[in-house]
Amino acid sequence: MSKMMMTKKGKIADLRSAEEIKAERRKGRTGVYLVVPGMLVLFLFFALPVIVLLSMSLYARPEGAEIGEFVPALEFGNYVTVLSAYWSELVRSFGFALIATVLALLIGYPMAYLVAVRLRQHGLLQGILLVLLIAPFFSSFILRTQAWKQILADEGWVAQTLKLIAVLPVDGHLTATPFAVVAGLTYNFLPFMVLPIYANLGRLDTRLLEASGDLYASPMTSFFKVTLPLSAPGVFAGTLLTFIPAAGDYVNAALLGNNRNTTMIGQVIDSRFFKVIDYPGAAALSFVLMLSILILVTLYIRRFGTKELM
Amino acid sequence: MSANTAETSRKPTVPPRSEGADLELKGITKRFAEFVAVKDLDLTVPSGTFFALLGPSGCGKSTTLRMIAGLDAPSEGEILIGGKNVTSLPSHQREVNTVFQSYALFPHMTVLENVAFGLKRKKDKQAMEKAREGLKMVELDHLANRRPEQLSGGQQQRVALARALVNRPQVLLLDEPLGALDMKLRRQMQFELKAIQTEVGLTFIHVTHDQEEAMTMADVVAVMNEGRIEQMGAPRDLYELPKTAFVANFLGKSNLMRAHVVGQQEGLIEAQTAGCRVLIPVERAVQHEGDIVIGVRPEKLHLHRGAPQESTGYNELSGQVIDVSFTGTTTEYLIEVPGIGRIGTFSQNRGQQPAQMGDTVYLSWESAHSFGLAGDEVVDAGVDQT
Repeated sequence: MSKMMMTKKGKIADLRSAEEIKAERRKGRTGVYLVVPGMLVLFLFFALPVIVLLSMSLYARPEGAEIGEFVPALEFGNYVTVLSAYWSELVRSFGFALIATVLALLIGYPMAYLVAVRLRQHGLLQGILLVLLIAPFFSSFILRTQAWKQILADEGWVAQTLKLIAVLPVDGHLTATPFAVVAGLTYNFLPFMVLPIYANLGRLDTRLLEASGDLYASPMTSFFKVTLPLSAPGVFAGTLLTFIPAAGDYVNAALLGNNRNTTMIGQVIDSRFFKVIDYPGAAALSFVLMLSILILVTLYIRRFGTKELM
Repeated sequence: MSANTAETSRKPTVPPRSEGADLELKGITKRFAEFVAVKDLDLTVPSGTFFALLGPSGCGKSTTLRMIAGLDAPSEGEILIGGKNVTSLPSHQREVNTVFQSYALFPHMTVLENVAFGLKRKKDKQAMEKAREGLKMVELDHLANRRPEQLSGGQQQRVALARALVNRPQVLLLDEPLGALDMKLRRQMQFELKAIQTEVGLTFIHVTHDQEEAMTMADVVAVMNEGRIEQMGAPRDLYELPKTAFVANFLGKSNLMRAHVVGQQEGLIEAQTAGCRVLIPVERAVQHEGDIVIGVRPEKLHLHRGAPQESTGYNELSGQVIDVSFTGTTTEYLIEVPGIGRIGTFSQNRGQQPAQMGDTVYLSWESAHSFGLAGDEVVDAGVDQT
């Protein structure tokens, strides 16, 4: 507590000694010092790259230049060129990401509910399931996606079984289809959906469910009227954490997709940068992707956002 | 509650008197693994009764309540509401509502939505109007659009009460609903709860560990201990004539003395305790021969500084004052009686000279105020238990 006092005139008198004031200022400065490293890291690894990316996206290719040779300019036409060429990949990326997010929610919510609420009294089982949930992170993302390629392969048991029960035509494929890409996205980002919902449901006061049952709500009604609304912040965080990386992902589309109807925007950026060596085009696409995600997320927060996230 | 003000009586807000239903528990036992929380409990609560289940924590009273609500299933026995067996019905199908100790208000809903919750589940077309009436009854209609977290403890308690009451359940369960309130608010809510119960005429089952609360509000009190009902009856009957040491000590205070029966005459049992002769009416004693325990309430004792004259029909003891404490309206004394132990009493402060520490004093009480308990009772059972 600082030693402040109201004087008769209603002004605040500072009754602290000079030393105390100095000590207070030192404390204030300590805060600033603590922020510096973080700010520096953010500047170096976030702000600076964004600025470089933005300026690169406006570079121009002079007449007769060699491959990979660009000059600084304000070539806004780059945006028009890439957007008109790749808008369908952009839309598809958001489409796939949306489907994967919805699927991850449908699969992830019951998982989170099981671990966080149903198994609350069973600490050991709860722990085991949580470890299993996080375990995939111990192996490489690309390796796991590669494994999905094997699982969904034509000679794999999934495709074979589906063909046996005639869900899949005999000459059908699972790999190299939009289905495989969405399945891969769903699988890879599922933990990002489950963990925030788990953290939220872990705090759910089950006495509220007893109260709702006591007030004539069936378990199903209790879920939709009490549990689900109360876990909205977790669902909200989970959907964002799934949707954002899924929209920019290119590993799943590259490994599980084909070159006709599964190309996602991440793949396009990748090939613009490393294969076509069109740095301004790739930079412009990256920027478009970033901006569209930002706009979509802002709209989403506006519509469904909770106080905690605003 | 302002049930008698002109405004309240004019408006048609007070719902039609709907009588509650009889509640019957038959041989209810509840086991949690090795622990038996409730043992073979039989209980009938007539409709419209304000019934209190009183006991220390862990005595099984809350478990009993949860079984009536359908939140826990009994291991054995049957629960009947209005003559209908509801033992296997889940809580949402029972015409029972609970006011929870934690209130358990839904934090994501407004106060009004909270109160309307049960009515909406029952597809009541007038859910919102009835919820508003309910809030009016607990005088919180002006806070209808607030969130529960914006309300004080006492207000939340009233919302919880309104949320349960508006459904007009056959039985209303109250699980230590006043536990979280401070003393003053508690007294006020006790009064209001009783008024509301009288007004709506529902069967109330009130669980509490506060003996004063139970006695002030309930028509019938059941004292529970270790999963059983020790004694049940009207508050005054229980207080004046406890049948066990636990009831004698838990419900108010008692002075209990070990004694030996030496004879019986003219409807009075004559017993010896530490050389003194004490008389107890036969109908006020659980056991009529051998070793017994005699009890008398502190306020029934008269304190004399010299040997009393009024000997016929009175029991007498004498001892030394070992503690005097002034409490404002009364002065409390602790008197060491040789061969018996410490006896507590008090006197109203009416300007008389109080006895001093170390004084030798005489205690007397009407024989008719003594009660006799079984000789195998633990004399301090239920003392200072909450």
